Amino acid sequence: MSTWIVTANGSAVPVLAALAADSVSALVVGSAQAAQAAAEGPVAEVVWIEPEPNTPPEAYAPAAAKAAASAAPEVVIAENTPEGRALAGAVAVALGAAVVPGASAWHTDDGVTRVEYARHGGIVEEVLDVAGPVVVLRDAVGDPPAPTAAAPIRKVPAQGLAATVVDEAQAPTESVDLTAAKTVIGVGRGLKAEADLALIEELAKALRGEIGCTRPLAEGVTWLSKSRYIGMSGATIAPTLYLAIGISGQLQHMAGVRGAKRIVAVNTDDAAPVFAEADYGIVGDLYAIVPAIAAALGT
Amino acid sequence: MRIAVCYKWASNPQDATATPSGQVQWDRAKPALSEFDPVASAVGRLAANAADAELIGLSAGGTETATPMALKAALSRGLDAVWVVSDVELAHARPERTAAVLAALIRSIGDIDLVLTGDASIDEGSRMVPNLIAGHLGWPVLAGVTAVEPDAGGRAVRRAHGEATQTVRVSGPAVLSVASDALVPPVPGMKDILRAGKKPTHHVALQDLEADAPGVEVAERRRPARPARKGVRIDGADATAAAAELVAALRGDGVL
Ligand SMILES: Cc1cc2nc3c(=O)[nH]c(=O)nc-3n(C[C@@H](O)[C@H](O)[C@H](O)COP(=O)(O)OP(=O)(O)OC[C@H]3O[C@@H](n4cnc5c(N)ncnc54)[C@H](O)[C@@H]3O)c2cc1C
Ligand SMILES: Cc1cc2nc3c(=O)[nH]c(=O)nc-3n(C[C@H](O)[C@H](O)[C@H](O)COP(=O)(O)OP(=O)(O)OC[C@H]3O[C@@H](n4cnc5c(N)ncnc54)[C@H](O)[C@@H]3O)c2cc1C
Repeated sequence: MSTWIVTANGSAVPVLAALAADSVSALVVGSAQAAQAAAEGPVAEVVWIEPEPNTPPEAYAPAAAKAAASAAPEVVIAENTPEGRALAGAVAVALGAAVVPGASAWHTDDGVTRVEYARHGGIVEEVLDVAGPVVVLRDAVGDPPAPTAAAPIRKVPAQGLAATVVDEAQAPTESVDLTAAKTVIGVGRGLKAEADLALIEELAKALRGEIGCTRPLAEGVTWLSKSRYIGMSGATIAPTLYLAIGISGQLQHMAGVRGAKRIVAVNTDDAAPVFAEADYGIVGDLYAIVPAIAAALGT
Repeated sequence: MRIAVCYKWASNPQDATATPSGQVQWDRAKPALSEFDPVASAVGRLAANAADAELIGLSAGGTETATPMALKAALSRGLDAVWVVSDVELAHARPERTAAVLAALIRSIGDIDLVLTGDASIDEGSRMVPNLIAGHLGWPVLAGVTAVEPDAGGRAVRRAHGEATQTVRVSGPAVLSVASDALVPPVPGMKDILRAGKKPTHHVALQDLEADAPGVEVAERRRPARPARKGVRIDGADATAAAAELVAALRGDGVL
């Protein structure tokens, strides 16, 4: 069986290659450094497409699809990022492959690949049998394996579609890694005003934890950076302690915190779904409860 | 020229439950326009106005996709017309199938050179449908899009890209997935809803589209085991007492 990794991010390759049981090739659409970073992973070969200056990697999706189709891999692991998904879409169509987002495990036997994944925000798990190629989407999280002898890099000439980056501005946002924090204080729309984040910061200091949030607090209003929102489309965390403050507990959020050892919920609504998934649920007003917890920790 | 917005008529799994054998019970979950799709419609309306184009909606799904309620909900969001492929078979379609149907529909309608989608659907959220449509059509796809304007070389697409914002000039046709916070879509008023009832609706039969997708077999479905939780309720009426009780419990668990 053969596996291909498809990504626009070379440093994702070692992490993703560690998921495959057998011989792996990597297809990287990116810079020379990206191709070299990929070659440090446990891969047999790096197939490299170098974009023209100012051309987004997405413009090379058809070229990536052509390269993948000629090798006809049974399994393609695509990185679950916007660029990775764009490449995966074209590759899947070219291969006539099934697409499985968030696959947790897979193996191929006699030409049939069995894939496991969670659906509908995690309310069910499904096991699929696919008698043909499969594209799975994965986040590149975790530590990369120790670098190996550099794999050969084969550059393939490619023509991009007509798309040019004509302007780019760095937004001054911070980037935090919530997955490393032992304690995470998640805050939701129960918070009435941006200035009230000071209350949460006090608690975070007392707990020596990181602040996370629900999607509406990082999008729409931008009280916190996007790297702080947790859930199905944000970060997946497994801290020792997670506090959900003013969070209703919709499954799109809870999908990202179920790995926590202990979950605490503070919510005024005793019917909020978050309580069903909490170890300790305080029914009360966060504006009274949060300062009280911070004070109790100080004693 | 036409700009198309793909919208999904879907239910929120928050209101669904799974049986121990993994059958999803959707009966208590009422379908609606998938949460982020009105943003795509509103961005599409602005783009269509700027380009003097017609804005049409496309949807593929089960029979409920073609109900008057579903059609009106979509058409009251600024679309000029909708094309719908509704078939029992599509209620259980996977993203590959959905995208194959939408791509075939786009080809058959013709004169479409821009396709907008939402960021992710509420029920599946694979975020793959726009990417697969682009794969079928051989068009570029960009995600995180916040605005589209005509520009000398074609179109200027503004998008969020990691920590940066970019303007990408696209000179040919493209698929764009719209950021969920691109704008706050206007809430349809009475007039929009009344007007929606008079707009053209086209029904396309699934068998008239060439939209094959790879076959997969579901070997097993199950309800995942949730980690056992203590489920202790603490009355917060007395904040100081509640906080003390919580901190003592967490210390006892060794997690502080
Ligand atoms: C009641 C119900 C039962 C289901 N049961 C199954 C099942 O048993 N097995 C199974 O594999 N799948 C099932 N599905 C889901 C399947 O039909 C999805 O529609 C398909 O997988 C699309 O992918 P996505 O939702 O991840 O889209 P995403 O890629 O997350 O959506 C992104 C955007 O693409 C567009 N889009 C997505 N879908 C459509 C659409 N249908 N029409 C128009 N635009 C669209 C929208 O703009 C959307 O915002 C079920 C869905 C429902 C509502
Ligand atoms: C495709 C898709 C993907 C999504 N992905 C994510 C994701 O990855 N992450 C995510 O978080 N969301 C995600 N969402 C959004 C998700 O569905 C919910 O809308 C969101 O999580 C709700 O955020 P919230 O709990 O902060 O707000 P709300 O649901 O509004 O809850 C606020 C809560 O605060 C409580 N409250 C109010 N006042 C007080 C007070 N004074 N003290 C204590 N409690 C108070 C209320 O009782 C309520 O329960 C997604 C949605 C879609 C459609």
